[in-house]
Amino acid sequence: MSANHSHSATSTQKAPASMTLTLKVWRQSGPHSEGRFEEYKVDGIVPDMSFLEMMDVLNQKLIKAGIEQVSFDHDCREGICGTCLMVINGSAHGPDRGVTTCQLHMRRFQDGDTIVIEPARAKAFPIIKDLSINRSAFDRITASGGFISVSTGNAPDANSILISKTAADLAMDAAACIGCGACVASCKNASAMLFTSAKVSHFALLPQGQPERTDRVLGMVKQMDIEGFGNCTNTGACEAACPKEITLENIARMNREYLRAMLVTRKS
Amino acid sequence: MTNRVLDAKIPKGPLADKWTNYKFDSKLVNPANKRKYSVIVVGTGLAGASAAATLAELGYKVTAITMHDSPRRAHSIAAQGGINGAKNYQNDGDSVHRLFYDTIKGGDYRAREANVHRLAEVSVNIIDQCVAQGVPFARDYGGLLDNRSFGGAQVSRTFYARGQTGQQLLIGAYHALMRMVGEKRVELLARREMLDLVVVDGKARGVIVRNLVTGETERYAADAVLICTGGYSNVYYLSTSARMSNATAAWRCYKRGAAYGNPCYVQIHPTCIPVSGDHQSKLTLMSESLRNDGRVWVPKAVGDKRPPSEIPDEERDYYLERIYPSFGNLAPRDVSSRAAKRLCDEGRGVGRSGLAVYLDFRDAIKRDGMDVIKEKYGNLFDMYHHITDENPYDLPMRIYPAVHYTMGGLWVDYNLMSNVPGLFVLGEANFSDHGANRLGASALMQGLADGYFVVPATLANYLGGTKFDKVDTQNPAFADAERDTKARVEKLINIKGTRTVDDFHKALGKIMWEYVGMGRTEAGLKKALVELPKLRQEFWSDLRVLGDSKDYNLELEKAGRVADFIELGELMARDALDRDESCGGHFREEHQTADGEALRNDEKFTNVSAWFYEGADKDPTVQREELVWEYVKPSVRSYK
Amino acid sequence: MLHFLRSSVGKKFIMGLSGLGLSGFVFAHMTGNLLVFKGAEAYNMYGHFMTHNPAYPLISWSLVLMMLVHAFLGILLTKENHSARPSAYAVQASPAKSVTTASKTMIFSGSILLVFIITHLATFKYGNHYDVEYGGQTVRDLHRLMVEAFQNPAFVVWYVVALIVMGVHLRHGVSSIFQSLGFNHPRYTPTIKWIGIVYAIVVAAGFISQPIYVYLVHQG
Repeated sequence: MSANHSHSATSTQKAPASMTLTLKVWRQSGPHSEGRFEEYKVDGIVPDMSFLEMMDVLNQKLIKAGIEQVSFDHDCREGICGTCLMVINGSAHGPDRGVTTCQLHMRRFQDGDTIVIEPARAKAFPIIKDLSINRSAFDRITASGGFISVSTGNAPDANSILISKTAADLAMDAAACIGCGACVASCKNASAMLFTSAKVSHFALLPQGQPERTDRVLGMVKQMDIEGFGNCTNTGACEAACPKEITLENIARMNREYLRAMLVTRKS
Repeated sequence: MTNRVLDAKIPKGPLADKWTNYKFDSKLVNPANKRKYSVIVVGTGLAGASAAATLAELGYKVTAITMHDSPRRAHSIAAQGGINGAKNYQNDGDSVHRLFYDTIKGGDYRAREANVHRLAEVSVNIIDQCVAQGVPFARDYGGLLDNRSFGGAQVSRTFYARGQTGQQLLIGAYHALMRMVGEKRVELLARREMLDLVVVDGKARGVIVRNLVTGETERYAADAVLICTGGYSNVYYLSTSARMSNATAAWRCYKRGAAYGNPCYVQIHPTCIPVSGDHQSKLTLMSESLRNDGRVWVPKAVGDKRPPSEIPDEERDYYLERIYPSFGNLAPRDVSSRAAKRLCDEGRGVGRSGLAVYLDFRDAIKRDGMDVIKEKYGNLFDMYHHITDENPYDLPMRIYPAVHYTMGGLWVDYNLMSNVPGLFVLGEANFSDHGANRLGASALMQGLADGYFVVPATLANYLGGTKFDKVDTQNPAFADAERDTKARVEKLINIKGTRTVDDFHKALGKIMWEYVGMGRTEAGLKKALVELPKLRQEFWSDLRVLGDSKDYNLELEKAGRVADFIELGELMARDALDRDESCGGHFREEHQTADGEALRNDEKFTNVSAWFYEGADKDPTVQREELVWEYVKPSVRSYK
Repeated sequence: MLHFLRSSVGKKFIMGLSGLGLSGFVFAHMTGNLLVFKGAEAYNMYGHFMTHNPAYPLISWSLVLMMLVHAFLGILLTKENHSARPSAYAVQASPAKSVTTASKTMIFSGSILLVFIITHLATFKYGNHYDVEYGGQTVRDLHRLMVEAFQNPAFVVWYVVALIVMGVHLRHGVSSIFQSLGFNHPRYTPTIKWIGIVYAIVVAAGFISQPIYVYLVHQG
């Protein structure tokens, strides 16, 4: 019987070189405690490992040494759930564009490197512990209008709504957001405009989104402001950090939508 | 004592009318009364989010519980390829009946006819609902919805949103849920893990959860509990499931009396990125949709280590096309996986480990052009490139089977209710619709069918037809369950041994893959049943979990899940040993045809195995629900 | 309306609108002042015309208003942004994820410009009043005032520095106006960005040429 597991799978002709790294990791025991950097050394890191697998190696080593593991959130490890945001050497999700932390591989680093690992920092994303943060502000923004109000059961036939391929593709581009918060983490103002505008755009581009167009953008922007995110100053850091490469075009669209909504709304 | 009679409660009447008749005969709860009933939904993936949203829209008081920081993280999000719907938009001969038939056959005749037919019926409503919610499905230039084909089907009925269909459907359900949260019709409890089910007077009446941030246990009472917590692939340590995906909620229900159905039915997906080393923490699927255009092959010669570009066509074995000419590269998952394994076992596997086959797009790129292929699969190719550092536009992908989905789960009747009244189980967490093998693009369909359309009807029937005593969290059953939960958590943290949770989890995975994996034998399964209890004992005597139980403690969370995985692994091995036949994803090497296909034993095993917990030191017992064939005649499942 | 002004998007919009007015003004101001190369009379007559036409009060007061709003909002936004992101990261972002320095330093460049504008107005608008007569018409001799002012090399250097800062501010500001007002389209935005850079260079260079020219040519 062949094993997909462990040893048999690594019977390589040439073993990839292994690396030793110095990690400076932010440790903070709770939301209100003082945090600090701790320095750890990890070895046996191979280029094929993902960044999170390197973090696994670190945690296994720490636990075996009797030191409590570093808390970091992660789940799907295939770049789609949006959980694994951390700030690696000053960049949300690490140095490369269009990738999440879990899809960043150690071949991007070199033997002897020092890597500084921090949680995303924003008032609206309080730190829970170490690198784990609370991003429920995004859920509240969504609950304030980021949906189409169709209760289950009385939808018309799917093909009765014609949508141009261009509109469907653009909506999909915006809907690709994984809610990881890299936009907030990378913005010097901790602004959530890219996240919010991606949702506003997704629906603004589709006919199904039109009936609630006005209330949606007003509600979402209002909640975004209440949550304590900063203002947008068009630096474009969010776009550069977004693992799904959502563009600033969405923010411009939201600005338009908002202006329009302000002019036509009948609510005071 | 809970109900041990397995009554599937299938409605009377012709197959195509059963669901309509059921809904007509069903008890209803009038709109004003709905707010008097409370429902707890555990898990907020496709099934959970869609159920919680729909039940709240109907007026029930809903509490939704998720272990994630947000409902949008559930692993439904990772499904890539698509969702089936019997719309026949392509005019290629699809129908509800054909989807029903394909699913029954795909499941190797081990699913209930009535359930599957209902699934096929509501599949069309799902597509409508999702489009109305703004799910950006792919469209053609005329603005109509596009479709692609998936394994095990000869029609194009799969709707998709690039390679992120699961994400878009989950986000759609999440939006619906968040609308209800915003209107305060759903109470959303995030970062909470269900650690016990509370049963009062034989009915499910609440749950005990651990607040993962504070570490405190909390009690929640309701009139019904919906388990929507997904599957148990992570028993194998390496699988395509997310790292947090676990069986704990379902396993706790089993320990409170709910039967576990067909635990040995595991789907091994043929197109995953091969393991690259010991450090591997999870496996990544390459969507089955790739097999629409990719051709699967290995070298004809054993031990041919030339680079793929140097192997001419006549020295390549396009084995799926050769063995299964009518389905070709779109042969079902179990069949394709076993074929890959057979060839690798023969020594014709490729790549460094020899445990991989090629999935080659050379001909598709030549035929359709780079742009078309990029448009269809761009994000999948990018993902492959990131992970392997090989560019699939130039080199064929290397793929190998990996554990992907579990068809088994808590036993439910036609109402999706387990044998514990008031305990409903939806989506992958139940055992119901896929038999012994699930077809591609059917998991999303089932999760949403259960949540949007089935449970809203069947829950009303239960609530409307049941008398409830007032039960709140002061009931002694809650105190008992909470005490058990706390004791268990403290026990885990107080072992203070030497081995980490991951150590044990990897050891478990190794045993499971070796003996309860793609090919199973009587001797191997018996060996597993010796090894697993040993591992369980080591776990409970040598585990090391650091930190505090009253804190955000990720190792402690994992420890509880792995403890349950070890026990569940044992049940899987037991069930695999008990089911002395091959069917779908369950392949007993003793039972195969001359050319290595699964050989069923219909005489003995046209049934569902439902396992009952008998206590900590006792073996579980099994009961069988016979499957009745009224409309389909089981035959040898051929894709040739 | 108040809601709009209080909201993050609204503030951004106002910032863009006032920025649009101000960048338009600096361009006009720069091109008009190029008359310095033609001679004192052309320069002074132009100054006279600009300050003695019916639109003057409206234009000057709206400029003051835009200035104040732009500066006030700039300070308010910075304060809010600091509170939204109280602590910085230990390391700078990677090259692939870095953004222009101009975009990150708008509050610094803006503050310098504010000081510059105040000294500029104090030196010229509210500085010594000389008169000169051209064909029987008495006008203010701003040219003489300017020649006097730019005799001081330190003052020239300060102008050059401040005007470079203005260029940096415009380098992000001009194209940013379009984004804030909701105009971003893949077909046009790359051109807009390019125009923004050219605009900043032209305005800054046009202005800088003047004190340097005056300093070098009109020695004592």
